[in-house]
Amino acid sequence: MFWKSKPLWGDKTRLKSSYDAVIIGGGLHGLATAYYLAKEHGITDVAIIEKRFIGFGGAGRNTAIVRANQRTQYNVPLYKEALDLWPVLTKELDYNLMFNNCGNLNLMHSEAAMKAARMTIATAQFHGVESHLIDAKEAKEMVPALNISEDITFPIHGAMYHPPGGIVRHDAVVWGLAKGCAKHGVQIHQQTEATAIHTEGGKITGVETSRGRIHTPRVLVSAGGYSAGIIHHMLGIKLPISVLTIQAMVTQPLKPILNHVVSSGAYHCYANQTLKGEIATGAHMDQWPNYTTQNTAHYIKHQAEALSDWLPCLRGVKFMRIWGGLADMTPDMAPIMDGNDPIEGFYMDCGWGYFGFKSCSAVGKYMSEYMATGNCPDMLKPFNLRRYENHQLMGETAALVSYTPDN
Amino acid sequence: MALTLTCPVCGKRNGYEFRYGGEDKGPRPAEAGLTPRAWCDYVHMNKCTAGVQKEWWFHRDGCGSWFTTWRDTTNNLEVEQPEASK
Repeated sequence: MFWKSKPLWGDKTRLKSSYDAVIIGGGLHGLATAYYLAKEHGITDVAIIEKRFIGFGGAGRNTAIVRANQRTQYNVPLYKEALDLWPVLTKELDYNLMFNNCGNLNLMHSEAAMKAARMTIATAQFHGVESHLIDAKEAKEMVPALNISEDITFPIHGAMYHPPGGIVRHDAVVWGLAKGCAKHGVQIHQQTEATAIHTEGGKITGVETSRGRIHTPRVLVSAGGYSAGIIHHMLGIKLPISVLTIQAMVTQPLKPILNHVVSSGAYHCYANQTLKGEIATGAHMDQWPNYTTQNTAHYIKHQAEALSDWLPCLRGVKFMRIWGGLADMTPDMAPIMDGNDPIEGFYMDCGWGYFGFKSCSAVGKYMSEYMATGNCPDMLKPFNLRRYENHQLMGETAALVSYTPDN
Repeated sequence: MALTLTCPVCGKRNGYEFRYGGEDKGPRPAEAGLTPRAWCDYVHMNKCTAGVQKEWWFHRDGCGSWFTTWRDTTNNLEVEQPEASK
């Protein structure tokens, strides 16, 4: 480039010595929370502290799928709101988030899975989310590339069809929210690492960073897969989280063959065609905690086998790019959003596993309310950390694909 | 990323033969006077160390041994027990 372009999120600013709120992690949850803090609650003296660059972590590594067909009554309304917010944010941020609500198709490979899908659909319909059951023939009519023959490893019995879901361009969400943050006065400090969180008498007093000390009464840790490690290292609070590397890949670009996001729990595989024509596919997770974000030959083989089984027209197609990211898994497959317990002014938003992208818009809205008022909004109450010691784990493990090193 | 583990019985084997058994949390807490909090701590809570940690493994597709090892979670390599933990 021959011209000097200015970043959407404004010029570099000096790190001040004090802020009303500090957010550790410049991912989608941090950006969305800062955006709503400034826009809805008038708290504009906010710093986002990001060790690398915004969108480096899960925000830029997820496969951009959005949906609201989770299992429990606590999760569905949150994801529904997130889904409803994409068109609103596109207008509000004046930034094209490229929301393509092509619909999601979850394949079912047994009568038991069909029964589980009926329950999930009942929950969705109860909460006003469109979702219904279709048989294998209807699925084939919708997705002609699908292999519904009986002689594959996991024959297809039917599918759960969720029309309002789809794909959102994840980088656009990062850039759009960063633009919105800057517009409302939030400072984004990249290449700035948080090294310690200071407390005094059970209250947050500040954050130590690689560029100096910041005084603040409120800290949110929303550092994706790194949150649990940071929270334990800096505050000694242990969380029910295991951090696993999750992998994804895209094939070479093809002519349009897939108009939906299609996923299969039994094959541990999902696929959708991007606007560029690539088949984006993934789901495999390492079965032991690690922070490598590296790929494995094991997964490439698995993915090729799965795809050539249920989407046989992809046989011989080449994988073009492959990458990994982190998923912070909880035992009940539901996130942890909590605050002021046990440290006043300390908020956490973590344990999202592989659901961080689809939830970010709604979480930003509610976490900002939590941080601004100090009171937990009703929507977030069930996601507190104490549910684990109170034996009130959520039933999200009954959802379609459940991965954890604990099972 | 590839993983090789050293089973005390079978020696170095492919990591996919094993099942991860969790971070080492010391002995199981005694039943007497056990609080829900202490039990939750033992069952669910992790340190999520990005670095060297002591952890349990089960040689599922092998001899069936349960054993502990030290591994660097940032590169999946087994390491000697750190001096500081001895």
